[in-house]
Order: sequence, then C-alpha cells, then structure tokens
Amino acid sequence: MSTVIRTSGLTKHYGRVHALDGLDLTVDQGQIHGFLGPNGAGKSTTIRILLGLARATGGEATVFGRDPWNDSVALHRRIAYVPGDVSVWPNLSGGEAIDFLSRLRGTGKHDRAYRAERERLMAAFQFDPRKKGRAYSKGNRQKVALIAAFAVPADLYILDEPTSGLDPLMEVMFRREIARVRDAGASVLLSSHILSEAELLCDRVSIIRAGRIVESGTLAELRHLTRTEISFEGTDASAAAGIAGAHDVAVEEGRVKFTVDSDVVASTLPDLAARNAAGLRIAPPSLEELFLRHYGNELRGNELRGNELRGNELRGDELRGDELAADEAAQEAQRASAHEKTAASQ
Amino acid sequence: MTVPALLRQRMRRDWLQLTLWILGTAALAASAVSGVEQSYGTLQDRQEVLVAVAANPVIMLFRGLPSGAEREAFTLFLILPFLAMMAAFMSSFLAVRHTRAEEELGRAELVSATPAARTAPTIATILHGVIANAILAALVMAVYAGSGFDVGGSVIAGVAAGGVGIVFLGVALVAAQLMRTSRGANSLSVWVLIITFLLGGIGNALGTPSDDLQRIESSWLTWLSPFGWAENARPFADDTWWPVVLCLGTGVVLTVLALMLQPLRDVGESFIAQRPGRLYAHASLSAPIGLVWRLSRGSLVGWCVGGLLTGLLSTSLASVVNDLGADIPALQNVLTALSDNGSLQEGMVVIFFLIVGVLAACAAVQTVARARQEEAHGTAELVLAQPVGRVRWLGGYLVIAFAGVLAVCAFGVLGAWLGSLRADDADLVRDALVAGFGQAVAASVFLALTAFVFVVAPRLTIALAWILVLGGLMIGLFGALFGLPDAVVDLSPFTSAPTVDAGELDMKGGWWLLAAAVVLAGAALALMRRRQLATNG
Repeated sequence: MSTVIRTSGLTKHYGRVHALDGLDLTVDQGQIHGFLGPNGAGKSTTIRILLGLARATGGEATVFGRDPWNDSVALHRRIAYVPGDVSVWPNLSGGEAIDFLSRLRGTGKHDRAYRAERERLMAAFQFDPRKKGRAYSKGNRQKVALIAAFAVPADLYILDEPTSGLDPLMEVMFRREIARVRDAGASVLLSSHILSEAELLCDRVSIIRAGRIVESGTLAELRHLTRTEISFEGTDASAAAGIAGAHDVAVEEGRVKFTVDSDVVASTLPDLAARNAAGLRIAPPSLEELFLRHYGNELRGNELRGNELRGNELRGDELRGDELAADEAAQEAQRASAHEKTAASQ
Repeated sequence: MTVPALLRQRMRRDWLQLTLWILGTAALAASAVSGVEQSYGTLQDRQEVLVAVAANPVIMLFRGLPSGAEREAFTLFLILPFLAMMAAFMSSFLAVRHTRAEEELGRAELVSATPAARTAPTIATILHGVIANAILAALVMAVYAGSGFDVGGSVIAGVAAGGVGIVFLGVALVAAQLMRTSRGANSLSVWVLIITFLLGGIGNALGTPSDDLQRIESSWLTWLSPFGWAENARPFADDTWWPVVLCLGTGVVLTVLALMLQPLRDVGESFIAQRPGRLYAHASLSAPIGLVWRLSRGSLVGWCVGGLLTGLLSTSLASVVNDLGADIPALQNVLTALSDNGSLQEGMVVIFFLIVGVLAACAAVQTVARARQEEAHGTAELVLAQPVGRVRWLGGYLVIAFAGVLAVCAFGVLGAWLGSLRADDADLVRDALVAGFGQAVAASVFLALTAFVFVVAPRLTIALAWILVLGGLMIGLFGALFGLPDAVVDLSPFTSAPTVDAGELDMKGGWWLLAAAVVLAGAALALMRRRQLATNG
C-alpha cells in the first residue's frame, strides 16, 4: 500500500510559539484518516503546510512523494480542499463560486459530467446557487466549498472540520459523499474535533496534542489501550469483589461499576454469571475516552486547582476551557508572528 | 415610550461620526469665506470670475448658481452645493445605517420582538436625522453670521443646506424600504444624489445669464433637483424662502411615504426583490485573473469616468484661462509654478492631468490592495489551494491594475479631446496625450510599490499604499505653492513624470520612474515565490 501523506519531525514556529513540534503523520492510499484534536492543537497548521500555503520551519513533509511547498501547483491538481472556516466572495453567487473553483481545477466550461455532478450535489445538500455570497449563512458557505470539492474527482481530499455549521441531515449527505470517494479509491484526511463523526467515518485516527501526534492507529488498535466499563444493578461494591481483572470498583446511581482491560472482557463473563448480575451493561471505550486519556492531564490539573465539579460535568466544562486555552495560544502565536513581521518590515 | 430609548441609542452610537460630518461641513463653510478673501479679494476679481463662468458654463457643474459678485453671495456660489452635498451624504448613510442595515444584520428583529411599535425604529431614525440636520444648519448659520455676513441670509444658507439633508433623509428611508440590502439602499440613494446634483448643475449651465453676466436664471432642469432648490434660495442676494420650504416639504412627504410602506411588509423583506445571482459562472471566470477583473471592474469604471471628466475640464477650462488672460494673479502663480513657465493653457492641461494621474494611481492601488483584502478575508486561500501558483495569482492583480492605469489615462486623453472640440485646438490634445503618458508612468510606480509592500509586509499594504498616494498628491500638487525646493517636489512621481514643456516631450524623471516600477514589480513577483499566506489581518 503506498503512502499518500508522510511527515516526519515537522515543526512550525510562529515567533516563540511552536505550533507544530515534531509532528509525524502517515496517511496511506485509500484510507479515511481522522486527524483529531481540539482547536489550536495544530491541525490547521499541518493542513496548510500539506497544501503549500505555509512553509515548515523544520522536518519533512511529502504528499504523493513530492514537496508540498515547491510542487504545490502540480499537487493541487490531485487534491480537493475544504477549509475550516469558508469565506466566499460577497458579490459572487454560490453557483459562480463553485464553477470558478472547479474550473481552476481543470473543469471545462461545458463539461457535461461536471454539470451533472454539480446538480446532484446541489440537490443533495439542498443548496440555492443563485444567492449572493453575503447572503449565505456559515453552513451554506461550507456547502460552497464542499460541493466544489466533491464535484471534481480528486485523489486526495483534505477536509478541515468540514461539517461545522451543517445540520444533522447534511452531515448524513456528507458521510455518503466520503463513502463514495473512498469507494472510488481516493484518500481522505479529515480533521475534526467531533469524535462521533470520526468514529463513524475513519479507518485510522491520529490524535494531535500541542503540535505532536500522541496516538495513531485503527480504532480497534486504540481501543486496546483503554479499558471497557462494565456495570450491573446493585448497591454494594463488595458484589464486584473477586472478579478477575476488575479495577476502579465504585457504586453510582444504584449500579456497581468497574473497568477491565478490553482484551479480557470475555473472561469476566463467568464471574458475572455466577453473581447473577441483573441489568448488565458493557460499554466499549469510545473515542472520547481515548481522547480524554491524552487530554486528561490538563483536566486533572484543573481539578486540583480547587474545582469542585465532578465527573462528566467537569469533563465537559474543562474540555471547553482547554479548547479556549488552546485558542488563546494560537492567537498568541499569530500576534507574535504579526509583531515579528511588523518589526522586520520596519 | 420606546422611541426615546431608540433615539438615545442612535445618538450614542453615532455621536462621533456625526460630530465629524457636521464639523467638517462647518469647516468647509468657513474655508469658503477665507478662500474668497484671499483669492478673489476685490469686487472686480469676482466679477471677472462670474463673466468667465457665464462664458464657460461647464464650471457650473462643479459650483453653484451665480447671484452677483457681492462677497457673501459669491461665497455661497462657490460652496453651497457642497455644503448641501455633505448634509445629503450624512443623512442618507444615517438613514440606511439605522434601518435597512439593522434589518439585514438581524438586529432589527431583536427590537421588533420587544413591545416597540413596528414603526418605532423608523420614527427614531427620522428624529435622529432631523436633529443632526438642524445642528448642521445652525452651525453653518453661525459660521456665516460670525464672519460678519447678514444674519437673515446666514439663516437661509444654513436651512438650505440642512433642508437638502432632510430630503435625502427621506430618499434613503424610502430606499431602505425598497431594497433588500443596506448596500442596495445606499447605492440607490447615492445614485439619486449624484443624478440630482448633476441635474442641478446642468440646469444652471443651460440657464439664462443676465445682461451683465453676473447672475444666471436656472433652466427648468434645475428645478428637478433639491440642490437646485437650495441654490435658488440665493442666500445673501434674494433670500427667497419658498425653495427651502420646498426641500423641507419634500423631506416630509418622503418620510411619511417610508412610514406608510413599513407596515406593508415583513421585517427583513423588501419591495424590490434582490436580483438573483447567476446560476453558472460566465466564461471569463475561469482563471484567477478573471476573478480579479470581476471584483475590480465596477470601481475601475468609476475611476475611468473620473479620468474622463478631469480630462474634459483640462481643455475646456484651458480656453477659459485664455479668455481671462493674466488678470487673476493668484491663478497665474499656481499655473506657472506647475507648468515650468509654459503657456497658461499648457499649464492647465498639465495640472489637470496630474489629477488624472492621481486617479489612475488610486485605481491601481485599490486593485492591488484587493489581493490583501482577499488574503485577509480568506478567499485567497480557496484560490491558492487550487492548482494556481502564487506568482500567477499576484500577477493577475498586477495585470488588471496596469490595464486600469492605462484605461484611466486613456479616458483622460479622450476627455481632453472632447473638451477641445469647440476650441478646435489640436495642440492641446497633443499636450494631453504626452501628459497622459507621463502620468501613466507615475501611476505605475504606485502600482509596483503597493505590490512590493503586499509581498514583504502584507499587514501594512492598505494603509501604507494609500498614504504614499496621498503624500505624492500633496507634494506634487501643493509643494510648489508651499515653496518646497524642487528636489523635494520632484520626489513625487506625479511631478517627476514625463510631461509637456513648450509643446515638447520632457522626460524629466521618467526613466527613473519606469525603472523603479519595473524593478519593484519584478521584485514583488520574485519574492512572492517565497511568501507564505498571511491570513488574519
């Protein structure tokens, strides 16, 4: 299987801020590769380097075996890209913007196949092409980029949080299109912070944190790394005593809970049967838990700082806090680089 | 009870902007008083000017209605249409800002969801506009009364300016009812403004001069324009009240119309549906340069019209200057300083083509600066993620900008030819051709400078490029008058550009300018190869 994207030790510095700090990412041919991390972790920076819109400070990056900075034009003939926050031209209609972007990728002015594909996609995404750009909502601007990306065949699709602003119905359409291009043999790099989306779509995922990949593999491989949660009805924690491999036994809301390593789930079943466990629930680890494993340090750090919230509440709130912190870091980086450039130009 | 609250909110939001508009108008009124004292100090000076105006009515497109050579009336002849224009612009933008723009952004919905009456925001806007125009009128009046002008005439002058403002408050309120977007409403009212302004001027130009050529009776066309009504009040000459009342009455009728239209439609809807965009892109929209053309063509047409009018004035006024001879020393000083002691007519062409050059530079800077706007807005990223090289992308902007420079200068020469038809003076057209060529070279320097700044310091592009044009304009146009040494004046590309000298081509610094333009543009394109996208302006 050939490699489509490969980066090794990729770094990108904005002033003193290290947006990427030795990123190693590999995407193979035909893969739908989830690129996961909160805002500001370095996803968009990586994508910009892969598209030759930004230059790496250090390390190596290749796309289809070529250098994305020097061979960007040749590479872009094979790549379709959907930015995270799509801007459109205020005085061009959506139809015009889509035609323009498709023609830049080599579609002829009277290409029948393209016209048919365009009509199909506009119907699927319920898109009105006659409105002017300034009248489009965020979701509709996103659709302009999605339709333009899917209307012309490509070998690699680079999608930066493509479903932000889409309603659930449109997300289903989006997943169908991804399945269609995958069946046609294309590769997809899908950046996201919506974990359920990645779980539904991706063959492999890479989790990025502070400019480094901290985990990469198939979902099955990654699941091995975390424990499965088992619970049954009961009010006495001693009910779980003696079950082989049980960790973290606790009682919550009338249920006895414990976790086991994911590869020994089957061996706990006889023990559970012996206890005649009622209302048995076995929850395989979700991507969210994988994710929290890597972002958990920060959560625990925040917890120690006198936060009295507990459990899931804390997770939700603190994760958002974490994203904000990451956002601030990114903005800081931009300010720093702006400052530096201003200084340089003076 | 909601109207006072909405009114307070409007005043709080606008106070700085309106203060600037109103003080600017008052300063303009005051500048006319001192300008007349300095340039046309004697009655004879002023009489000569009015004779020249009667002889060459084109001037009346840019001035008011002559009502005699007395100091007060003459001052208002020079400035009244512009005072009215300031009030008109202020009022139209004010009206659209608080009505259609609010609806478009969805903020009006918040207000409509409260117990506020449906017409409350419009009524608050009307009161807001009336108060602003009343203050403007009072300040204009105070400026003139304070300059020792007759108080009755000062009142008429102030109310005439404010009255035109009230008319356009009404025009814009109706436009806001008709159009779906604030851009649409603003452009409809600005078009009405421009057309009525020109109608007033053309009507005066076609009017009948009195026997001593000191006074002109407007033709009927002028009476179609609020600017014409204000001028026909003839402050300090006749002090006629009823044309001013006509302004106020029209304003009332239009605002009542807007209030009547309001309840007939839903919030956010409009009477004229927005024109749907094209379903498919035109064939020209197939390459990056096609997009640049699409985004720039509207403003380029505007700059070309400016070039045409300036060119037209350069030769049609040249004949007036000839008639005047050397009677007005101030005018003569300006022209000889600028034309390096050539003939007055030639000097006139040179000075007006300097303005054509400034217009061409503006067209170029605006077009190239659009690259920066596209980059900051995020649309450049969409284009550059397609198989489009960075150099080719920037090159599109440079090509369109250069075509714009050539077009503006060519329209200037065309205007000069049209203006010289009556005088049948082929020499003037040749002068215009040479001056137009020279200014195209000067404007290209600004084009290349903007491109260079864009590549090396993207975030400074827009501010720095416009400051350079403004600096070049100030040094070039007024440097000689301020007594700056030639070496400094010639720093401005507009003055060191090739020009015409006693009928001959004088290259001056032309070769240097050409070299600078080529080197800067080449450097910009070469460095673009190495440049990353710099978003987040």
